[in-house]
Amino acid sequence: MNRLPRLALASCLAGFLPAALADLPIARLFVKPLLCVTDREATVCSMKFNIRWKSETQARYCLNDSARESPLRCWESASAGTHSEEREVSEAFVYWLGTPGSEQRVAEVKIDVLRLDAPDRRRERRTRHVWDVL
Amino acid sequence: MSDAWLDLMRTRETLMRILALSAWCTLACAQEIQPGAAHTPVAVPAAAPERHWRLGAGLGYGNRSNPLIQSDDIPVIVDLDVAWFGKRWFFDNGDIGFTLVDRPRFTTSVVAQLNSDRVFFGKTNTRYVNFAYSGYGRAETPLVDPEDGAVVTGPVEVVIPDRDYAIELGFETLVDGDWGAATLRAFHDVSGTHGGYELSADVSRRWTAGRVSFSPSLGVAYKSARMNDYYWGVNADESSPALPAYEAGGGFAFEGGLQANYYLSRQLRLAVSINYERLAREVAASPLAEDDYVLAYFSGLAWTF
Repeated sequence: MNRLPRLALASCLAGFLPAALADLPIARLFVKPLLCVTDREATVCSMKFNIRWKSETQARYCLNDSARESPLRCWESASAGTHSEEREVSEAFVYWLGTPGSEQRVAEVKIDVLRLDAPDRRRERRTRHVWDVL
Repeated sequence: MSDAWLDLMRTRETLMRILALSAWCTLACAQEIQPGAAHTPVAVPAAAPERHWRLGAGLGYGNRSNPLIQSDDIPVIVDLDVAWFGKRWFFDNGDIGFTLVDRPRFTTSVVAQLNSDRVFFGKTNTRYVNFAYSGYGRAETPLVDPEDGAVVTGPVEVVIPDRDYAIELGFETLVDGDWGAATLRAFHDVSGTHGGYELSADVSRRWTAGRVSFSPSLGVAYKSARMNDYYWGVNADESSPALPAYEAGGGFAFEGGLQANYYLSRQLRLAVSINYERLAREVAASPLAEDDYVLAYFSGLAWTF
């Protein structure tokens, strides 16, 4: 099958944003760090997150994360903000910026968790092939 | 609202999800430097069960030395990782296995594999040598024809004998705990190529600090006389003034390695790997062996799909 027409169709349809989404202010969210690496003996990451956001529209914004129901912090009539927090991470989650009382996400960043210890130990077998160097 | 409009909305929603997911896959490694973009909601997947497939590729520069005379080293530019793990069956970069026992402390499988020694014989060159070089670069004495004892004065063609791949079948037990991990293996040729066997054991331990992991490893392998002699022995009909007959016995090889990774994202890492194998004395003494070791190293970017 020729995929080009499909891609073109997908691109066209993607241009039709829902009206509610199109009304959201344009904002950007920056978070560091973004990755937690866990292992057998280090199952939790103690991380300090530096979060900042910037919007083209001055409004009331709240910083949320997918692991908690209530906002981490809200700003009144602001177009930028910073926040930092220390927390222990063992599961992936998302920081997201929204407007109060709305579930719509203006911007979001995912914090990933990489687990090095596989539950299936066969995945960690060391082959002794000449061509395998990693 | 018409059905057609609802269908269009559903189609668009599906496409948006696909596009968002594709964007995640593409940009996952660049998240460190890219801010979260507005209007790109991405669903956080729930903790998914382990996928059957493991696909990866390493791209960088590496080399594995070739202990065989008149042979080139084996460059490693791309290291592909193709593996599939089912409940019992698995395929791991050429190895095919069936898990017999899986316990909290260990896993034992029957595994079929290709012998690695044959790979060294795939990059040979034919050369002509004079008395100063007797084929394995150690003797400085004139070459003597073993048949009549006469000194050979002219150039002598040195042809590396052909060796075949062997299919080996055996048992493999993986053990791990807080101390690290170990592998015990016992394999026998089932293809009738060399009729020998190999026993090996290795231990490794991984330390993780932040985004960095270090994994040193140590191993020992015993290869039987039949196996060593098939690959590294020189039969009477293969011998020449420059390549004397040799019968290799069984012996122990030792290896040590270190692998380090710096994880840029879930999928992408900087990888450095080095491995040194000391060949068995019985192999290193062969006129086919130029070196008594195999040194392999690689550094580059490794991507796990």
